[in-house]
Amino acid sequence: MSYVEALRLALRRLRTNPLRTALTTLGVVIGVASLVALIGVGEGTQTAITNQIAGLGTNLLSVNAGGSVVGGIRGAAGSASTLTVDDATAIAALPGVTAVAPEMSVANAVVVDGRTNTTTSMTGTTPAEATVRNYQVQTGTFISDLAVEKGLRVAVLGPTTVASLNRTPEAIVGQTVTINGIPFTVVGVTQPKGGAGFTNPDDAVFAPISAVQSRFTGASTLRTIGVSLTDPAQLAYVESEIQSLLRYRHQLASSASDDFTMVSQDQLLSVASTTTATIRNFLIGIAAIALVVGGIGIANTMLVSVRERVREIGTRKAIGARRRDIGRQFLVEAVIVTLGGAVVGVLLGIVVTGAVGSAVNVPASPTLAGIALAFGSALLVGVVAGYWPARQASRLDPVEALRYE
Amino acid sequence: MAEQTGVPPAGPPASPPLIEGRGITRLYSMGDSQVAALRGVDFRIFLGENVAIIGPSGSGKSTLLHILGLLDRPSAGQYLFAGVDTDTLDDDRLAVLRNRAIGFIFQSFNLVSGESALENVAAPLVYAGVRRKERIERAEESLARVGLADRMHHDPSQLSGGQRQRVAIARALVTRPAVILADEPTGNLDSRSSADVFSLLQELQAEGLTLVTITHDQRIADRAARVLRVEDGMLVEHDAPAPYLDHAVAPAGAGGVVADEDASPTPEDPGLRTLGLLAEGDAS
Repeated sequence: MSYVEALRLALRRLRTNPLRTALTTLGVVIGVASLVALIGVGEGTQTAITNQIAGLGTNLLSVNAGGSVVGGIRGAAGSASTLTVDDATAIAALPGVTAVAPEMSVANAVVVDGRTNTTTSMTGTTPAEATVRNYQVQTGTFISDLAVEKGLRVAVLGPTTVASLNRTPEAIVGQTVTINGIPFTVVGVTQPKGGAGFTNPDDAVFAPISAVQSRFTGASTLRTIGVSLTDPAQLAYVESEIQSLLRYRHQLASSASDDFTMVSQDQLLSVASTTTATIRNFLIGIAAIALVVGGIGIANTMLVSVRERVREIGTRKAIGARRRDIGRQFLVEAVIVTLGGAVVGVLLGIVVTGAVGSAVNVPASPTLAGIALAFGSALLVGVVAGYWPARQASRLDPVEALRYE
Repeated sequence: MAEQTGVPPAGPPASPPLIEGRGITRLYSMGDSQVAALRGVDFRIFLGENVAIIGPSGSGKSTLLHILGLLDRPSAGQYLFAGVDTDTLDDDRLAVLRNRAIGFIFQSFNLVSGESALENVAAPLVYAGVRRKERIERAEESLARVGLADRMHHDPSQLSGGQRQRVAIARALVTRPAVILADEPTGNLDSRSSADVFSLLQELQAEGLTLVTITHDQRIADRAARVLRVEDGMLVEHDAPAPYLDHAVAPAGAGGVVADEDASPTPEDPGLRTLGLLAEGDAS
């Protein structure tokens, strides 16, 4: 019997009991759909995080103030007042450094615009911030050198902050808002970066570092210095240069540890992608289990089916079916059920990917590789699940089979 | 048609027997002991014969039919089909031989439900590797022959018992086998359907088909040219083997065994023909 005949027979058989066929298929449908969806969402998450980190800046190296050590207890990063504006200026003079943005931060900045207000974080910085942190301005301008020099009370808002104030970017530029009670003129609104995650780069206020220092912090201590490199290949070199420079400037003894830390964008990227890959593989593992359970369901149904059709098998042997003809009939039936389930599962998976993606706000889309993997696994599951029942059927003794009640 | 199954002519057979058993024994293990269903049975059946096998239940007649039909192998003894020692054939070759040379009719019809009468009848041709178009033509022809031309697309469950058995007969005929083995063909039928099926089988036999029937039905036994009585695993032959030379020369049913492969069959030599089939069957 050719595979075409076996296929014809299997389709006829599956049609005679549509409910059972549907229920048997369901396991595979769920398995395949979850595989497709989780791979799609996983890839989408990874892409989103990668893009977000890339959006943080170009060839970025962040120098963070270290934790203060008081009585042997290390405080949180940034709690020590180790980095200064002068440190930033010194770093800017190093070879291999394109731009340096000193970042002075005010954690709770209450922005009031008429009757509306929002709370966000404010960063006192220089025009270099736009280059280093990869910000574009959609309306107005970024902070100018003049504003930093003169300590002007001007502010650039993030689009999310603007939206929180129920304003459009066009409407708010030129207006005066108060930040923690001090009036600032809005000179620009940044382009959305499409942020998701713990810190949203679109919910921010930027002001000249001089203004922030004089109006809010009083001191010249920085939380972070953003450094943009000329060539990412020089990362290690620039890192060691900055380390020596800061250790010298901070007059650290050779036995003392650094009072600052450095994180490069590459490091962030690799940590993030390792984390997301782990989560994604974990999810794929769960989906694979669902598919295996679906396969067990198929094997079970096929075994029941062989039991129910013992007489039919005996009859087919009597009219000339060979072992392999019978085996092929059952194997093809199992594979058809699985592949049918896989087709439905892929379609369902595509729908679910979109739904989950928009629910968790991740640009998830089903990947071709994911679909191929799900389909391939389903085929494998079908063959494995069908093999044993098919073998049982083919080995039935025709006389016993014909006698079976 | 009764006349054609009359007294066999005397003298030695002109062609070798289609079926020949020599000392056939079949033992079954029942726990530690062995039970003999058949104990050294000898028989010969020739092309075109009409043979009834009778005997009380448990006498071994079903076992005998299974061995005749190549569904089972003897524990001891030799079974020759068309002159070939079936012990030399592997399971696949036996399957091919069942497919091409033997037609089965069962007491409980054994039709596959969920498949139409036509699909049931065409099933043996699927295993014979016949093209779909030809399968349908031949199955339609076969169903028409048993008078079910108007029931081709019915599911077996929509047919009466008599009709079902006629579908089964059409299925047995569709490969144009050398012999039809019928196991209590009227056992599950009411008397009217029974008479119906009975006369159909007699007609087919009269047209030259070799027919071997296991039966309790006295009428079938009466109509058979030869009755083999099985008792306690032993064969009591009531009549001598009867080669029907007239039928053996041109048995319409048997001649068709190779019809799809060979346009001009040589009915005088069934053994070689069947073997030729085997070779072709292997290729399918």
